[in-house]
Amino acid sequence: MGSVTRTKLMSIMALGAMIGLLLLPILVAIPALASDGGAPAADEKKEGGDAKVEKGKDVYYKTEGIVSGPPAPKTTDSEKDYPRYNFESRVLLWFANQQHLYYGSFVLAVPIFCMVIEFMGVVTKDKAMAKRYDQLAYDFIKISLTAYSLTAILGGILIFTFLTLYPAFFQYLSGIFRPVMHIYALMFVAESGTLYIYYYGWDKMKEGFLKWIHLSMSVVLNVIGTILMFLANSWIGFMMSPAGVDEQGRYLGNIWHVIHTALWNPLNLHRILGNMAFGGGVVAAYAAYRFLSAKTDEERAHYDWMGYIAMALGVAFLIPLPFAGYWLMREVYAYRQQMGITLMGGLLAWLFIIQATMIGILFLSTNYYLWQALGRMRGAEKYQRYIKYLVFLLTCGFLVFITPHTIVMTPAELKAMGGQQHPVLGNYGVMSAKNGGINVIITTTVLSFVWYMRGNKVSTVSWSKFGNIFMGCFFFFAYLNIILLAIYGYYIPANVRVGLSVPQVATTLSCLFFMFALNSVMMKGAKQMGPIEWGKISARSQYALIMLATAFTWMMGLMGYIRSSVRLFWHVNEIMRDNSPWAYTHTVGFAANMISANVLFFWISIMFVFWLGALAAKKAPVEAKAAVPGRAAAPAVGH
Amino acid sequence: MKALMSVVALIGVLGLLMLIGMIFGVIPSNTIRLVEGYMPMQVLSELAIFVAGFAGLSYLANSMGVAFPRFWQGVLFWVFIQTYLKFRIYPPIPFSVRAMYGTVSFVAVFMWVSANEEDWKKFRQPILNVLDANTGFHKALRTMYLILLPLLIGGFSFMTMKPSIDEPIELRTVHPAPPASTKVHGKTYTLQTSQNPYRVNLEGKYDQDYSNKLIVEQGMGRLMAPNANPWDDKAEGYLKYVREGGEIFFQNCHFCHGDNLNGRGLHAFAFNPIPANFTDPGTIAQLQETFIFWRVAKGGIGLPNEGFPWASVMPPWEQHLTTDEIWKVILFEYWHTGYYPRTWD
Repeated sequence: MGSVTRTKLMSIMALGAMIGLLLLPILVAIPALASDGGAPAADEKKEGGDAKVEKGKDVYYKTEGIVSGPPAPKTTDSEKDYPRYNFESRVLLWFANQQHLYYGSFVLAVPIFCMVIEFMGVVTKDKAMAKRYDQLAYDFIKISLTAYSLTAILGGILIFTFLTLYPAFFQYLSGIFRPVMHIYALMFVAESGTLYIYYYGWDKMKEGFLKWIHLSMSVVLNVIGTILMFLANSWIGFMMSPAGVDEQGRYLGNIWHVIHTALWNPLNLHRILGNMAFGGGVVAAYAAYRFLSAKTDEERAHYDWMGYIAMALGVAFLIPLPFAGYWLMREVYAYRQQMGITLMGGLLAWLFIIQATMIGILFLSTNYYLWQALGRMRGAEKYQRYIKYLVFLLTCGFLVFITPHTIVMTPAELKAMGGQQHPVLGNYGVMSAKNGGINVIITTTVLSFVWYMRGNKVSTVSWSKFGNIFMGCFFFFAYLNIILLAIYGYYIPANVRVGLSVPQVATTLSCLFFMFALNSVMMKGAKQMGPIEWGKISARSQYALIMLATAFTWMMGLMGYIRSSVRLFWHVNEIMRDNSPWAYTHTVGFAANMISANVLFFWISIMFVFWLGALAAKKAPVEAKAAVPGRAAAPAVGH
Repeated sequence: MKALMSVVALIGVLGLLMLIGMIFGVIPSNTIRLVEGYMPMQVLSELAIFVAGFAGLSYLANSMGVAFPRFWQGVLFWVFIQTYLKFRIYPPIPFSVRAMYGTVSFVAVFMWVSANEEDWKKFRQPILNVLDANTGFHKALRTMYLILLPLLIGGFSFMTMKPSIDEPIELRTVHPAPPASTKVHGKTYTLQTSQNPYRVNLEGKYDQDYSNKLIVEQGMGRLMAPNANPWDDKAEGYLKYVREGGEIFFQNCHFCHGDNLNGRGLHAFAFNPIPANFTDPGTIAQLQETFIFWRVAKGGIGLPNEGFPWASVMPPWEQHLTTDEIWKVILFEYWHTGYYPRTWD
């Protein structure tokens, strides 16, 4: 008894220490934030005696502030400002940055999954299920632990690359962010400490009150991780849409303005969702890899289930991702129209077509996986014959979504087409049609999920017939509404058309929430047509998961490149010019090859991480083995 | 169910026969026309009808015990889509887009035929038969593939590597990003915030809602709104400026941009690409008035670096028109096409 109390006490102390670590950087930051970083100005005043305090106007907030830093350096194409190897420095930086981002996203996303899955395990009344969830969360965090050290190593490489190849720029940026640089570093310490206690304390805190303490640790861990990411986002936000500085790039003493730029919040939301979707994809790919290499039915069953959960979590965050992206683009247009046009109508428009293709692949892979998954439940055959209609809907949405506005063609084709605008394709190439396309794709994905959730069940509620008709009508009118709004978008002013995306998104989300909820109610106590036979899924489904993860990785690389290259020849947009010999935009082909190289390197290295994870793996715990899905005494019916 | 499927099968067969007839010129190619303005939905609707028709045919064939092999269903459906894209849609779709559509439809067919184990088995069985070559026919087929495939790949490689004298493909930036501001006749205009000074209501105040109500109807009719005829002698304010803009347009612009503003003017086909088609929803309907102002004033030679391959012979109209005239002609273009300029509020 005494030992248990001691363990409890220690756990509470550990949690307290974590919260302390979390609060420490904030406490440290308070004086700096309270004084608005005004210390340098004060010093200047003292030194200059009665010297007049120089004031500057914030380029974004248009407020006045005391000039508290040097102007942005005016670099020249020289060894001093741009020391170099006999190679394009930008490509080296691109590689280091991208790899760090991949791993950073992964290690920030996985703990969120762990938190969700561990919570599901704690609240689930079914003990066998609870153990399965707990084991799954543990498997997740185990994978991320090895990746965590790689993230730190890659972060180091990134900083060294900045320091050696872009010293003038890095000095300027670190000068601007000086008030929060150490907070960022301290947050890393807090993140590491919390993660290690969380991971190594897993077995010690697996029951009762201690489990709740352990779960709370995961919350703290994720809060720290999120703050870390927000801080990192503030740098790229500043580079794209600077604030808190005057026209010469001089810091005006308000660090909040520097952090809270025009694009910071949209970037934060987009990255949280993106990281989660990406993390889900990578874990699903890991499960697929383990499934395909599994030697026993038990292993196959476990990794089939793991892949499904990871995919479902990833897709849950993928569905709102296009809407977050839409918001980000809207803010980009609001910040600088030129930037928006360069992105979506001009120089980088074709990269957006590639992005649309990748988004389509993500949803197609997800749907394909779900259709394959119908095959592992008895009774789901009734839905399979209708899959061809879903394929048609998805394909139509996809074709419209990827139709380019700026078409690649020979002058002869251009002449044959009778001008730059095609009477059919021209209509698909604009935003109104694309909004319709993506919403049709997402709604169809929701429909596939609903079919999957009811695959092996027959509703027994008295109003099941009415419920089914209602659901059918709901989806029918949802499609109708989305398509009609997309057509209506051509007949109204652009500012109203932008607003039309709201009812379209609302329609899609209504399908998601109402139909999921209604389906759950209808399927409560439903008649089981047969168990879900975990592990009895086609190998094709696992390749779909791998495709899903690869598409995520490729798309992240692409979007990172687009976001970065939209600054064109600026290090910091309109403030600090890039005068290196590489201040030009790469060709689409070069960018695509570079992104592919990054993706390839990431997957080779993550395979190494997977291999390490498998190497260190204990034999599957006895209780987990006993509870392998599909092998339990009672048929496993939960999704 | 059977009756319904018979009807859709009949529609599918009729559609297919009509498409084949139009391709081979047996029936006039404009028997069922793609109507400008409605084409996008018409194409999707036609495809939906074909899919329903094929589903009906397959259902009937199954009911009669003469199921069409899944392998050939998949292959022929893909061929059908390519044929439809190539021969039904006019003007012809550039190869790059057809390649994209072809790839997507290939993936779609794969997803359909492999969506469940039973279908997948049926689909791959003919392929496995050829690979296993248990009969003389299959053995002959396998040998033929063994010879043909390397030849095809070799031929493809040869054609790819062969120096070509064709014009290279171009990725023309149709709407390059404008500058933040532009200077015309000594005055600087900030593109994000400037407004057309002639888009005003009867009180002389800038009023887009007012002018929006007076533009012509979009679509085929292009009918004028009631009591909104700019050529009415009593027309005042916005409508009067539209009329003045129209006069400027027909004195200067219509030779290239055409009477209907569709880019098919008298001299249009001397250029490649032909001038911008303002009636297309992808041109002025997507842009702010200030963007048009900048493009009209600076012309083709004023295109920024981003606007490669700078394929525009548009004159810099600031050398020929006053600022007021440029604004008025823009007013007329929006009025005539029935589009609203983009705004950010």
